[in-house]
Amino acid sequence: MSDTHDNYVKQLIVLLEDFTQDWDHEFEGRMDPNTRLLGDLGFESIDIIQLVVAIEEDISKKKVPFEKLLMKDGRYVDDLSIGQIADFLVGFV
Amino acid sequence: MTTKTLFIGMDGCTFTVLNEMTRDLPGEGITMPFLSGLMAKGSRANLRSTPNPLTPPAWTSIMTGRGPGQHGVFDFIRAEDKGGEVYWTLYDSRDVDSEMIWSIASRQGKSIAALNFPLTAPPPKHVNGSIVPGFIPAKHLRRNSTPGLFERLKEAIPGFDAKELAWDFDNEKQALEVLNDNDMEQWVRYHLPREEQWFNIAEYILQNDAPDLMAVMFDGTDKIQHQAWQFVDPALVPAERTEFYNRMRAVCREYFANVDRYIEKLVTMAGPECQVFFASDHGFTATVETLRINAFLEDLGYLKWAVNDGSEQAIRREASDFANLDWANTTAYCRTPSSNGIHIRVSTKPGEPGIQQADYIPFRDKLIEDLKTLRNDDGEPVIVDVLKREEWFPGQHMERACDLTLVLRDNGFVSIRNLKPVVVKRPSPAGTHHPDGIFMAYGKGIAANGQVDRLDIRDVCPTLLYSLGLPVPSDFEGKAAEPFFTANWLAEHPVKIGKPTIGAGEKAKAEDMDEEEKRQIIEQLQMLGYME
Repeated sequence: MSDTHDNYVKQLIVLLEDFTQDWDHEFEGRMDPNTRLLGDLGFESIDIIQLVVAIEEDISKKKVPFEKLLMKDGRYVDDLSIGQIADFLVGFV
Repeated sequence: MTTKTLFIGMDGCTFTVLNEMTRDLPGEGITMPFLSGLMAKGSRANLRSTPNPLTPPAWTSIMTGRGPGQHGVFDFIRAEDKGGEVYWTLYDSRDVDSEMIWSIASRQGKSIAALNFPLTAPPPKHVNGSIVPGFIPAKHLRRNSTPGLFERLKEAIPGFDAKELAWDFDNEKQALEVLNDNDMEQWVRYHLPREEQWFNIAEYILQNDAPDLMAVMFDGTDKIQHQAWQFVDPALVPAERTEFYNRMRAVCREYFANVDRYIEKLVTMAGPECQVFFASDHGFTATVETLRINAFLEDLGYLKWAVNDGSEQAIRREASDFANLDWANTTAYCRTPSSNGIHIRVSTKPGEPGIQQADYIPFRDKLIEDLKTLRNDDGEPVIVDVLKREEWFPGQHMERACDLTLVLRDNGFVSIRNLKPVVVKRPSPAGTHHPDGIFMAYGKGIAANGQVDRLDIRDVCPTLLYSLGLPVPSDFEGKAAEPFFTANWLAEHPVKIGKPTIGAGEKAKAEDMDEEEKRQIIEQLQMLGYME
């Protein structure tokens, strides 16, 4: 993996730790590239919308076409890992 | 530091209800005695809302002094069709393409507090003061408030509870559903502690920070009236009141009595030197029928529904109330019930479905003519006016507006469901938005003029700036509400027109260069079932 990818993973983990610090989710341990938004962190659709805003504000510093990540073949993806979001940011930021 | 200007927003508040709550009613007394006293000593006006009287565009006009064509916010949801599935996001503060009052006042040395206003998340930058946004779920309130503020409030305010305070999407959906008696009462009760939480924050900020501009918005007014309109509209009082009616009436009055207590405390704390203003984003009235607009467009030959093939995708779309259309054979359709508007599909390149650009005007004229033919079972016209976007939404964002905005005879919102008949009577009247909200003023320099001529929603922002002693930006569409002030005050404090706002229209320019975004806007489709 590239330095850029790893850097995005680090930034996303910092963001997500802050983002979910006062949530009632059951995730324990440290976040890593395999940590999933829905499966591990208990995200709902409104949380994804808010995360997109947070990434654009804190990391990319501009609007990013997240529909290209969130929709595949005309339907929403079932879940996303931190590593997948980092891959996407490498391609679009 | 002392607060110069106190602004209390009341979402969806109307004089139809407020006049009742502030007068002595047999068997009930005066529900809002403090506000009644203020109204007797101040000035007030009906406030004409945005062309489609809806919370996001209307509050954004209140905060910017400009209309939706200029500020670019038209609805709650931004949704785009992506190969047959809906990709949706919500409008947020970054979409507001006009400078907000919070920034205008801050950069001229004033401090502000803005509590519970929509479109203030993420909090606008370069603001001197405190912002806790409205319409944000509890889980996201901390990050969307002014940095450090959430923690400060949590520590300082006994009983502070973000879950009780914040917007709960599952609960809010109920505002527009048909509820049974028990759920309806619970729905109204759910807003009592919510408003108390917002009041507690306002009280704390006013006490400790005393910002020059202190602004708080109470939105339970709108939510309660959607569900419980029949219990607050004086025209709908039944000949014989049932036990349930009395119970509902009592809990509605409890809500308004609480708001009166909040107003009394805030106005008293702000002191006699302060000018106090109240405004709502729109009014309220009764809707008595439902218009299934896309079903009507199908009858007229403008729209064709897709065949539901039973696939998972099709089932999801039906469940999401998203119009599942045959795009190759649809030339006009409604995206969201809250838009009350119709989009015309114009072909942008050879082979693309839609009408030709050259045919747009005659096509639209024919469509308007067709829409106005609709009658209900009693022979009454259902669509009483059809607004063209260039006339009602002028500005750099006009193309985001619906091509046509409908005004229904009962001010109702349309349904986009695939159901017949096209027009159906409601089992009982429900609350819906009326274009006339409220605007009131009280305090030092405010005249006891009572009711004055109707004002425009874009006048609120310049009036607040004027009250703060600041000039009105030259590029505002609204003007300061001079009829609210005494002649002496106006003579000593003439209204000044100042430099234009900063940054207005920058987003529109950026979008002009983005062809992909342009295509998405043209193709966007929206979901959100509003009433049925």
